[in-house]
Amino acid sequence: MKTDGCRHWKESLGAYALGHLSAEERAALEAHLEGCPACRDEAAALASVAGLLPHADPARFGPAPLPPPELGKRIAATIDAERRSQRRQRRFRIGLGFGGAAATAAAAAVLAIFVLSGGDGGSPEQHVSFRSLPPGVRIAAALEPQAYGTEIHMYVKGISSGTLCRVYMRGADGRDVSAGTFRYRWGGDAAAVLSAALDLSRAKALVVHAGNQTFVAPIGAGEAALRNQPQEEEPT
Amino acid sequence: MASGALTRERDVREAYAAHAAELYGFAVRSLADPGLAEEAVQETFLRAWRAGERFDPQIGSLRTWLFAILRNVVIDLGRARAARPTVAEGGVEPSVEPFDEALLAWQIEEAMRRIGDDHRRVLIETYYRGRPYAEVAAELGVPEGTVKSRVYYGLRALRVVLEEMGYED
Repeated sequence: MKTDGCRHWKESLGAYALGHLSAEERAALEAHLEGCPACRDEAAALASVAGLLPHADPARFGPAPLPPPELGKRIAATIDAERRSQRRQRRFRIGLGFGGAAATAAAAAVLAIFVLSGGDGGSPEQHVSFRSLPPGVRIAAALEPQAYGTEIHMYVKGISSGTLCRVYMRGADGRDVSAGTFRYRWGGDAAAVLSAALDLSRAKALVVHAGNQTFVAPIGAGEAALRNQPQEEEPT
Repeated sequence: MASGALTRERDVREAYAAHAAELYGFAVRSLADPGLAEEAVQETFLRAWRAGERFDPQIGSLRTWLFAILRNVVIDLGRARAARPTVAEGGVEPSVEPFDEALLAWQIEEAMRRIGDDHRRVLIETYYRGRPYAEVAAELGVPEGTVKSRVYYGLRALRVVLEEMGYED
């Protein structure tokens, strides 16, 4: 009996929530609500929905505009590009960590180089580490072959803020090709990105003039000259 | 590795398929500029991907999370727009309040789109247009009691859809 009776009342609850019942209908329904907790709960739930209606604009109930079909592809492409560049930076950081540890462990070693193979199938990118540096100083670089020559991500730490750094790539013929300049700033952790018009496969060494000091690290084939040096293990 | 749901590109594609239309629809409503809305949606998914490891489905739905990111993106875009002198004179306010109001409005409008045509129709006629039930019933060719019950089931459906969308009162 109760459910049958409630069905009748319940179907008035919508109009009640919207304030659409006549005075008599409302009085009768409220009398029912007094004694029926289930209907009271439902009335409260509908009242909260009814309270939201004034916020909406009925002129906007039609179909919403859809995103252009190429947007998804564009987002995927952007993420893909960012993921690649992150992977590059991550490899670069691994290289720096390694170089830093090596610099402390073997202060007498003159120069060392290591080439990380990277995670994506033999990337031609190379990581260069400078050693025999003054205590607290770290210099490292990641080199990436480009159509125009070589892209160089320089990382410097521990020298005087404001020091002008000039970077060169030394070719197999012994000639230096300028890769540009940058100033080291305290707190600036970002690598300076430079470029040189020298093919990475023909580069022998990376040369950095920081203030009045000069640091040289071999690249690629230069490794051969270091055969007698103790070799570092590859970081995992 | 991470337990976050958006750490792989495939996750982003799935999130895009499930939520981009809604985010874009809202961005267009909020920014009143389809080009800017595209920019906002793109930035939202980029930020979601970058912060993918921080997304925890235990805490809230992906949809809620994406809308929270979009909120920040829209506010940033509003600031950028206001910073441009020519537009700033037009009075673009990079304020949060219009966003929340617009989001609420948009959610109700989206819920209205998702309920049945019959239910939406009686709510529009009786509530938004303030027409008498008898008149609406005559126009639809149904008894007045049917209009009344459609109002009831329409509000119920609206509540269910809003809950599915993550709305809490």
